[in-house]
Amino acid sequence: MDDLLNEFLTETGESIDVVDVELVKLEQDPNNKEVLDNIFRLVHTIKGTCGFLGLPRLESVAHASENVLGKFRDGELQVNEHAVTVILESLDRIKEILAGLEATEEEPEGDDSDLISRLDAIAEGKAAAATPAAAEVQEPEVEDGEIIDPGLGRALKPGEVSLEELEAVFQNTPGPEEEGASADTSASAGADSSLFDRLGGEDTVAVVAHLLAQRLGNDKSLSKFFAGTSDEQLKDKFTGLMLSLFKDDIDSAEAVSQTLVTASGLADANFSALLEMVKAVLVECGVDGDAADEATMSFELIRDGVIGSSKAIAPTKQEPGKEKATAAGTESKRTSQSIRVSVDLLEELMTMVSELVLTRNQLLQIVRNMESSELSVPLQRLSQCTTELQENVMKTRMQPIGNAWAKLPRIVRDLTVELDKKINLEMLGADTELDRQVLELIKDPLTHMVRNSADHGIELPAVRIASGKPETGTITLDAYHEGGHIIMEIRDDGAGISVSKLSEKILEKGLATEAELAEMSDNQIQKFIFHPGFSTAAKITSVSGRGVGMDVVRTNIEKIGGTIDMKSTEGKGSVFQIKIPLTLAIVAGLIVEASGERYAIPQISVVELVRASQNSEHRIEKIKDTPVLRLRNRLLPLVYLNEVLGFETRENLEGKESDDFIVVVQVGAFTFGIVVDQVFDTEEIVVKPVAPILKDLSVYSGNTILGDGSVIMILDPNGIANIANSGGVETAHSSEQAQEEASQRMKSEDQEAMLVFRAGGKNPKAVPLALVARLEDIEVKDIEQSDDKLMVQYRGNLMPLVKAHPDIELSEDGRQPVLVFTDREYTMGLVVSEILDIVDESLKIELASNKQGVMGSAVIDGKATEVIDVSFYLNQAFDDWLKSKDMNDATAPTAGGSVLLVDDSDFFRNMLRPVLSVAGFSVRTVSTPAAALGLRDEGFDFDLIISDIEMPEMNGYEFAKEVRSGGAWENTPMIALSSLATEKDIKRGRDAGFNDYVAKFDKETLLRSISQQLKIQGDAA
Amino acid sequence: MNDLVVKQNSSLVAVEEAQEVVTVNLAGQVLGIPVLEVHDVLNAQQITKIPLSPEWVSGVLNLRGRIVTAIDLRARLGLPPREDGEKSMSVVVEYNDEPYSLQIDSVGEVLRLDGSMFERNPVTLEQRWRNVSTGIYRLEKQLLPILDVEKLLDFEGAAKAA
Repeated sequence: MDDLLNEFLTETGESIDVVDVELVKLEQDPNNKEVLDNIFRLVHTIKGTCGFLGLPRLESVAHASENVLGKFRDGELQVNEHAVTVILESLDRIKEILAGLEATEEEPEGDDSDLISRLDAIAEGKAAAATPAAAEVQEPEVEDGEIIDPGLGRALKPGEVSLEELEAVFQNTPGPEEEGASADTSASAGADSSLFDRLGGEDTVAVVAHLLAQRLGNDKSLSKFFAGTSDEQLKDKFTGLMLSLFKDDIDSAEAVSQTLVTASGLADANFSALLEMVKAVLVECGVDGDAADEATMSFELIRDGVIGSSKAIAPTKQEPGKEKATAAGTESKRTSQSIRVSVDLLEELMTMVSELVLTRNQLLQIVRNMESSELSVPLQRLSQCTTELQENVMKTRMQPIGNAWAKLPRIVRDLTVELDKKINLEMLGADTELDRQVLELIKDPLTHMVRNSADHGIELPAVRIASGKPETGTITLDAYHEGGHIIMEIRDDGAGISVSKLSEKILEKGLATEAELAEMSDNQIQKFIFHPGFSTAAKITSVSGRGVGMDVVRTNIEKIGGTIDMKSTEGKGSVFQIKIPLTLAIVAGLIVEASGERYAIPQISVVELVRASQNSEHRIEKIKDTPVLRLRNRLLPLVYLNEVLGFETRENLEGKESDDFIVVVQVGAFTFGIVVDQVFDTEEIVVKPVAPILKDLSVYSGNTILGDGSVIMILDPNGIANIANSGGVETAHSSEQAQEEASQRMKSEDQEAMLVFRAGGKNPKAVPLALVARLEDIEVKDIEQSDDKLMVQYRGNLMPLVKAHPDIELSEDGRQPVLVFTDREYTMGLVVSEILDIVDESLKIELASNKQGVMGSAVIDGKATEVIDVSFYLNQAFDDWLKSKDMNDATAPTAGGSVLLVDDSDFFRNMLRPVLSVAGFSVRTVSTPAAALGLRDEGFDFDLIISDIEMPEMNGYEFAKEVRSGGAWENTPMIALSSLATEKDIKRGRDAGFNDYVAKFDKETLLRSISQQLKIQGDAA
Repeated sequence: MNDLVVKQNSSLVAVEEAQEVVTVNLAGQVLGIPVLEVHDVLNAQQITKIPLSPEWVSGVLNLRGRIVTAIDLRARLGLPPREDGEKSMSVVVEYNDEPYSLQIDSVGEVLRLDGSMFERNPVTLEQRWRNVSTGIYRLEKQLLPILDVEKLLDFEGAAKAA
């Protein structure tokens, strides 16, 4: 069922129960203002919610009751029994409708006009107003000084006889006469005509049934037996009953009688009272006495049936008159499904459970140290129960984030109408669970942000079409877990945040000076929207723009320990990211040791444990100063916990001859190993936040008390990764950082890790490490010679080996170091004499060498080193690898210029980068056209673009067309680079917008072409 | 109390009412901590060190299920570090609902001090002391600086000032 409706049902059910009780109280103490206020408030709430949910029937009934209550409250009406009864009746009607709602999720059909009119009548002061239906047969006028009949609980209607009198009449009436012997005054029917005809036919029956239904409803002593049956239903039942009775159809009469009453306890006396009422009504309707008597007598036929059926009904339903059986039944079902518990209680429970978990751990620790204790079995059981208890208590607090989103589609819908926009709201990860308290707290900020996106972000359809976007804007909500945090993203594809407009505003408000602004990045300027008192909407709409928005959002999120971040690209849209930590939570933690101190690492980020020693398969190796571990054909960067925490220096650590335990952890997409001294077991730990003074220490995410009572710190793998990388790895999604680091990265990308090796000759040789797929030691005896070529069986294939230098002599036996290069399906091994080191140096290749197989030479680690040209060797190994042209005349390097290189092949990218660097260009490489276009949108500018043609997703031609179609790079020269270099291809390339077309790895032509293009560009400018 | 108020009014230096303080010894110096601020007095505890934390944070300890941050008062006040083997005690105070345990050498006595003996910090007092002391009581035999727990533990503020 719809959550909203469900919530409403529970809540309204509760309110009604309270009103029931309170009303009775009020009746006893009509002057109790407090009770009255309470009732009024509850009914008002019910009315309000009904209106909100679009339940007109409920709303109108509640509204009418509220009116009456309002009069009571204002002192315009005295509280009297009759009014209370009618209000109670309306409550019952509400319950009835609620029951229908619960069963079908729709308001049941029905007519409440008479109830409402009675309520209205009371509100207007006509306490005894006749119902419209009754008015058909009776005088509607009400006279002053009316008599209240105690039996009926209301004033008598004109022409009506009080029950006492009827009783008296009944008593005095002689036994029923078989035939209508006496003269009938009004009925046209003869003595021998059937009872039905004598009573006046169907019309009379209908009227009688109607009146009966009405009066039964008002008669307190009888109405309870018909609880759960609406007046309308009752009327139908009586009509059916009378028709069958008066037509001597005893079978159907019996059948109807079985269903007549809905509550138990209908005694003989009650049935007699019912008969009296029937008779009175008959008389009222103008049926002559004898016929009325006879008709009444016919009811005796079903006396036993009705009383019997009443007995059959479970006595539990014998509630006070106001309880209707069906409503009561479903209500209990509802309450058994969910109850409301105060959050404080849950909070307390959670704390208790946390303590219980800690104590359990303590016990476990003690028992672990005792040998064969009889405690262990019960303790195990206790442990299990505790775990389950803990899980369940946690669950009580967790709610899917979708709950906080439930109202958003409606809000967005309303906004689209109000703002005349077309917006599509997408919600992803709605079942991501988070603590309900946190959920409550982010509800409002979220709503606010979605409103903002709809109002400020998404443009009007016309504007969108004009800027080439689909008419309908999209707002995407996305939620997911990441490393103990919940990340929520609100994305829109709207206009983004205009930096120029924002700057004006900032200046106008004096939040920053022009000089300050000039130094800020776009993103920093955009962050001003979080500044107190800021709004960019040109005009204030009813939706947003009062300038308290994002500031409040940020404060609210920070209050719960979260962070908010945003990234916006003008014309493309904005992304807001909210990160909320799970502060109070029990998590599994791996306990490790470093320098005698224990630490916990959240199990969730631990991928595996590896034990490394000098002699085992896993051994920590070093690439210069960087410790790495070979793990299943991957190099795993390592971090020494001792070093991170400042216990020991690297030299000391590496000098140690001990086994190392490596905890492989994953943070986002980054996997690395933490080297620790010892690994203990996993324990359930309650994460407690660290003291405020330690907040700045990013290596800890909290602390906890272990089973043995000692306090230990919980390490934050994210923080350690950051320290290990000093910001080099994008562990966090922080776009701000990314932006700010962008320029730094440009620089650091110039730094190439170079693998330095020795291969003949005096000078060491080097190759960009990125090009090397693997380092292998190959048994010399495995090397085979075929057709003048060296081969080795490698991973089930024959891999050609090429000597890095003709002078290299293969050693007789033992192992030969080999660098393995891979490009697509080609794999080759480069035989070298010795692998020396890996250095991280900025690649300043001194001069382009003309020597075959050498790209140039560079000073690496203080020594002149030849940088080899891998393509040369690849050509040697594979004839079908791209035919490289002779590298005769080195192209004169053209100094300066920034070049963007787009190629999906890692190999080519890494290959060309040094080539271009040698030629004096600053090079930026990306692997896909999409990434390139991303750079364009981020505002990067290049003097020239070199693009591959054969690329997945978007090929070079498409890329060129895209670039030429507009944007910042519209006029940037482009060079196509492809192994498909036929006449046709070249033409196609030019048509697509490439300025030149160069065959892949025609180094000189490429360089020449670059200088040519840059020159043309320069001349044009 | 009435006569005290009169006395206070007549005295220009005294602004504080009479208060009770716990005296603690720290590297030969006696300090006072308002008794109402003291939650616990503990003997030496097992303290878990926190690498990378400021030098005056000696670690965290478990006080009946609560994690308490231990502050090395000597380091905080610029006194020479405790020698190995020297005993220590701690006084647990709270600041912003966070418990802190102040590491001291030993606890002295509880004194009820009259406001008339109170005096503001002399201007010549070392800055570090002046920052963490509300004032000084002139006792017969010695002077008793009173620790201002709030200022002592207001690290964020201190960091900003620095």
